[in-house]
Amino acid sequence: MEVEKLVGIISEEVPRRKTPIYRVILSFVVRDFKVWWTYKFWLLLDISGMVLFVVTYYIFSLITTSQQVQEAGYVIGGYFTFALIGIAFQQYVHFAVQSINESIREEQWNGTMETILSTATDFRIFLLGEVCFSFIVSSALLLMSLLVGFILGARFYVTPSSILTAIILTVLLIASHMDIGILSTGVIMKVKQGSPVTWAFSWLSQLVSGVFYPLKLLPWYLEWVGKAFPLTYSLDGIRLCLQSGKDLTSPVIITNIVSLVIFIIVATPIALYVFKIGYDAARRDGSLGQY
Amino acid sequence: MEYAVETSDLTKVFENKEEGVKQYIKAVDHVNIKVKHGEFFGLLGPNGAGKTTLIKMLCTIILPTEGTAKVNGYDIIKEPHKVRSSFGWFHGETGGRSLYWRLNAEDNLKFYAYLQNVPKDIAEKRIKALLEFFELTKDSKKLVKDYSTGMKVKVMLARALLHNPPILFMDEPTIGLDTISAVETRRLLKALNSELGKTIVFTSHNMFEVEQLCERIAIMKDGRVIADAPPSVLREMLRDVHAVEVEIREVDDLSKTVEALSNLSIVKKVMDAKNESSNVIVRLQVDDEYEAIPIVASKLHSLGVKFSAVRRSEPTLEDIFVKLTRGEET
Amino acid sequence: MKVEELIKLFKDDKPRLSSEVIHVWAVFWANFKIFLSYRTWVIMETISTVASIAMYSFMGLQVDATRVVLAGYGEVDWLSFALVGVATANYLWMCVSRLSHSLQHEIREGTLEPIITSLISMRSYIIGQSIRGFLVSGYFMLGVIVVGIGVLRTPLIINLETILSFIAVILLMVLSYAGIGIMAAGLILVYKKGDPLTFLFASVTEFLGGVLFPLKYLENFPILYVMAWLMPYTYALDAARRILLNGATLLSPNVLLNVTVLIVYTVIFIPLGLKVFKWGINRIRHEGTVATY
Ligand SMILES: Nc1ncnc2c1ncn2[C@@H]1O[C@H](COP(=O)(O)OP(=O)(O)O)[C@@H](O)[C@H]1O
Ligand SMILES: [Mg+2]
Repeated sequence: MEVEKLVGIISEEVPRRKTPIYRVILSFVVRDFKVWWTYKFWLLLDISGMVLFVVTYYIFSLITTSQQVQEAGYVIGGYFTFALIGIAFQQYVHFAVQSINESIREEQWNGTMETILSTATDFRIFLLGEVCFSFIVSSALLLMSLLVGFILGARFYVTPSSILTAIILTVLLIASHMDIGILSTGVIMKVKQGSPVTWAFSWLSQLVSGVFYPLKLLPWYLEWVGKAFPLTYSLDGIRLCLQSGKDLTSPVIITNIVSLVIFIIVATPIALYVFKIGYDAARRDGSLGQY
Repeated sequence: MEYAVETSDLTKVFENKEEGVKQYIKAVDHVNIKVKHGEFFGLLGPNGAGKTTLIKMLCTIILPTEGTAKVNGYDIIKEPHKVRSSFGWFHGETGGRSLYWRLNAEDNLKFYAYLQNVPKDIAEKRIKALLEFFELTKDSKKLVKDYSTGMKVKVMLARALLHNPPILFMDEPTIGLDTISAVETRRLLKALNSELGKTIVFTSHNMFEVEQLCERIAIMKDGRVIADAPPSVLREMLRDVHAVEVEIREVDDLSKTVEALSNLSIVKKVMDAKNESSNVIVRLQVDDEYEAIPIVASKLHSLGVKFSAVRRSEPTLEDIFVKLTRGEET
Repeated sequence: MKVEELIKLFKDDKPRLSSEVIHVWAVFWANFKIFLSYRTWVIMETISTVASIAMYSFMGLQVDATRVVLAGYGEVDWLSFALVGVATANYLWMCVSRLSHSLQHEIREGTLEPIITSLISMRSYIIGQSIRGFLVSGYFMLGVIVVGIGVLRTPLIINLETILSFIAVILLMVLSYAGIGIMAAGLILVYKKGDPLTFLFASVTEFLGGVLFPLKYLENFPILYVMAWLMPYTYALDAARRILLNGATLLSPNVLLNVTVLIVYTVIFIPLGLKVFKWGINRIRHEGTVATY
């Protein structure tokens, strides 16, 4: 192509319209879906990995007694249902803590980070768009694991009020863990290393929040540590809804909800502040595009 | 074993699948080149001409679709292992990747020295000398990830030389270097060629350095070699192109001057006009230089343009390159 | 340093002698150094190992001890039973995925191309990477066992004979899977993204091998049960448990039987793996995608 022609095309005046936000987000979701679809095999793997995990705990439940679980106040379904809820909702924990960080890293790997930042898209909208897609995938996996569990014999209380309450608790679970995700992304941008924050957090919270066992089985000091983790309150609440039919009228549920809300109110400003520090630092030393 | 590199109908066709549709890209198309031992050989061509693919086939990284080649007398398909002990390879386009970023420069070089069977004492001496030559001694204990692109490129250059191979494949060796390092690197390559008799195959899209270094140049386009000759012969191809160049010192309206010159009946066309330090050099294609010089000079004078020279212009490789790659007839 | 001095240095040359030992050493040494540069990762991985053992110990409090007896190792507690499973499964997974992980990295970083142009054979490369894998995973396995015995007081039987027998079983276990690891690496070379095969293997192995529960409970699912006994890991785990839980040694008949099976798998799979790997290397040389920029 002649230089003149190219210059002509570029300088052609195109009226600039502001793209509506939902269109921007949609374009991210569609793009992610396309990328993901080229790795169809991964979909299969995600699902089979999830099924295997559920089945493992089903068989493990055959050698456990449900006594401790029932003593802890989770009435129906026994140990398997108890563990299933713990496992299934890990999808959202993982989503909330990792998705922001992972999508940024993926862009950095591909070297597309700086390109995206240099387009007119607001950084926050970019994040939202990236995160939307992971949310859809996590939700699908969560529902599937509950379904597989049900087929294997897990039982839930299904009343409109208990389901509604469980959904409220789920939203709070995601929101509170999002804070941790934002915070750790800020740290990663600054120190350029796999985030110790996320690691420590995910392991500690599995240990002390009672994913696989009722908290009563922990020694007092670990039980006490568990009180600092939002997962403890959300899992307890969700289990009480789905295994014991509790709803918003129950004081235990209200306590859980209030604790989560307090956590979110305290953590959000801190998380955003740390993120901003990391983001600014990365821009300052020009390392936004690096991983 | 007459030639250091000898290709026979070497061809590479890449298959690209785009949205289910297979595409075939002829990156290298029946190339036949012969490089003598001790020759400084240049491969010149625009981006995508197939230079890197050709080199990678000679390096046994890419298998040819058709044809074959001999490197140091060994067949690249049948005896890859022997071929590998004969060359050093550098690939500038990677921009400093292809090193272990989490090792320091010294460890990177040590690693490859081991893989290339360089005896330990010799390896140590050479690593030290190469690091010093490329001015990396001070940073040799720093992890490569903290290096600038230029420093990484230097480590890669050192790596290609480490095992003292008889043949060097230098794919765009000066691409990420600053001017001074590029000059030093060119000097080193020239010396390796003239003092140690190394065969060097050098690719570039930079006319100037190829012309300066190479004894023979092959010009590639769209996978094919469209010219293969010493620079002087290539220049000879433009013998019938007569040109004068005008060195203008001061001018009010350059485009008007250029237009006036191009309207002269003796001027066939304006070849180019570029700034060189404080001057503007305008090159004009003419029928006869010696007839043209006084006419051009008096025209400039009548226009009131201050100029310091009007002289015969030697055709450069760039002219040949442009001419050949644009597919113009002479 | 002047060009002239450098040239003088290069005039002084010695013949290069090929040594596979040096190649293996170089690959091991470089990769181990790279591993050490990920200090945070090592610390985090250590912490998560300890945390997961603690988790198992609390899970164990809900287990009905009478049902663990069904596993056939006598009256052992579930925690020791699971600990041996977790330690061996982790070790296996880390070793088997090592090669594909490194290769994926080398392709992404463009470092595989210089390796191919060098004189190292792919066999030495694989061995060097594997030795690194043995050592690094060994560190974590040791961690599991030390925490298990030292902190949680699990009654594992530790004496010279059991330790030596256990190490032999572990090595055989890894060898019996080496073919699969090499095969997976060969597929990674071609398909680039991820190591689906090893991932699937890890989860299936952990599940079917009976890491957390006695295999007796799979008898109700005949297909799974048969699959379980087709996997070398099941035999390795059985041998490891007999050694560490019951004090058997390599020469006890039950262990010997398991060991034989592992050897058979080794002999079958390694050549197969190498074939696939060779195919992979040639395929990417053909496609021109030894590095993907
Ligand atoms: N692995 C590959 N798959 C498909 N096409 C390729 C591959 N490698 C190179 N090409 C294509 O082959 C052509 C020649 O590329 P290359 O040899 O890199 O050219 P040069 O080095 O002269 O710039 C280009 O059109 C390029 O897009
Ligand atoms: Mg190139």
